Amino acid sequence: MASDAELIGRSLAGDEAAFVEVICRHEVAIGAYLERRVGHEAARDLLGDVWVAAFESRGTYDQSFAGARPWLYAIALNRLRRYWRSRPPEELVPDVTGMAEGWDPWPTVDVRVDTRVFRAALAGLRTAEREVLTLVAGEDLTVADAARVLGLPAGTARRLLFQARTGLRNAPGVAALLAELNSVKGSK
Amino acid sequence: MLDEMDLAGQALQVTLWRPEEYEQARTRLRAAMAEAGPLPEAALATAPVPLRGRGVPEAGRRRRHLGPRGKFGIGAGIAVAAAVALAVALAVAPASPPAATTAWPAPRASAATPPLMTLAARITAGRSTVPGDASLVIATKQLGSTTEVVYSLYTDSGSLYTGDDKKTLTAAVMKNENQADGFNDVEKPARYAASGDLATARKMMAEVSAGNDDYFLSYAARKKIWDENLSALRAVLRAKGSTAVPQMPTGQVLQDDINQVIWNGCQDALLWSGNDPQARAGVMRLLSTIPGLTVAHSTTDGQPTLIITAGPQGFGNFTQVLTVSAATGLPLSLVSSAPGAGTGRETDQNSRVTVAAIRAGKF
Repeated sequence: MASDAELIGRSLAGDEAAFVEVICRHEVAIGAYLERRVGHEAARDLLGDVWVAAFESRGTYDQSFAGARPWLYAIALNRLRRYWRSRPPEELVPDVTGMAEGWDPWPTVDVRVDTRVFRAALAGLRTAEREVLTLVAGEDLTVADAARVLGLPAGTARRLLFQARTGLRNAPGVAALLAELNSVKGSK
Repeated sequence: MLDEMDLAGQALQVTLWRPEEYEQARTRLRAAMAEAGPLPEAALATAPVPLRGRGVPEAGRRRRHLGPRGKFGIGAGIAVAAAVALAVALAVAPASPPAATTAWPAPRASAATPPLMTLAARITAGRSTVPGDASLVIATKQLGSTTEVVYSLYTDSGSLYTGDDKKTLTAAVMKNENQADGFNDVEKPARYAASGDLATARKMMAEVSAGNDDYFLSYAARKKIWDENLSALRAVLRAKGSTAVPQMPTGQVLQDDINQVIWNGCQDALLWSGNDPQARAGVMRLLSTIPGLTVAHSTTDGQPTLIITAGPQGFGNFTQVLTVSAATGLPLSLVSSAPGAGTGRETDQNSRVTVAAIRAGKF
């Protein structure tokens, strides 16, 4: 199977179908990323914008990277920033904290668990820490790829993730929440 | 056993969209494609050429680690400029006849040798202690319109802490977020170079700085690695509109690669050797083996300094100006620039501090 880089190379030579194949590979992941940040309705509109922006900037893609997903995340993040800037202040969605509204993120967690504890802990992180955590925990990126998305040195991203994890562990109630979940899991 | 990353992963789960919602986005893309003409030539020209695969030693291989300067140092813009320049060199480098040991010639004296050797001797003779127990490097990186500041603390005991500002650096120290991870390996070859054979010291430093020993493999072994990666490299160049056939670096191109990793390793060693005059003396001796360096005497805040300039020739078209104390060899500043890129510039301010002062936020 051709790598994303090879397909982008073909699209540069005029093979438009090759580029569509690239976005088909990543549309679920990028769509989910957008939805986490702005909700389903807005994400559905933004996804097409992301593909167009990616197509227009494919000439700058560094083809030494076989997989294009981090590059697409970076483009998606740029579109999100533009989207947030264009919103009236009263309609701004405070990135990850917005996930506390409108949908249930806990389909796999026991209903007895008080999920507000963890939501509050996430909301208490610094924006940069949440950005890295979201990309690593939510998008399954490596720290190096998350750094590439955010335009940070890998060491800085590692430090931010370390701080985010420490912040979560130390947040009120999270240790107890983890202990409870592990206890339930262990008893099954 | 669940941990906080599992909780975050679960918290961030969303459900799949309906197929027609993805198709709607694809339709938007196809419409844009129909409107777009061929990609402008200029857009192709700006595509960065990968560093990986530029030379045999690192072709297709991942470095064991990046030195601190690799992590936090030379800006990406400069790296891109260097990569572009190296790619040009790749494209035009003639195929040199095989030479099994060209990667490890005896070092030759350069114009920079006398002042550097003098400083090495001064450091060795003085063996003076320096204040503090750590080196603080404040790097200001300008990449295009973006400015980034990184605080790095290299302790004499071998720990590395980083932060975006004073507050986060203090927090990193307080929480013992040590990121050294073996980056101070460069001190060993630097110490050896203080009194050891310089050809051996160069080999040691190049291997540690690059994270592998590929530079010093036989021609046949390097050629094998090169051939394994050649098709991927050619595909990249083709996609960027180049029909040039890359040549395996040999001769001067290979020597330039080696000199660059030694230069980088020496800078890392200086950051780690605040309380290690032997390593600093060794660094000066190692630097004296790099052809093309220039050294000028100057003063900084009334103190005598040496200004050591590397590049652009032999350094992929980028230039670095390292200012060190003419008494101790401690680095004071580093300015990197790449005229070709015009967007990358980094200035490092180096000072001696105490870890206690950092902990207390008094710096």
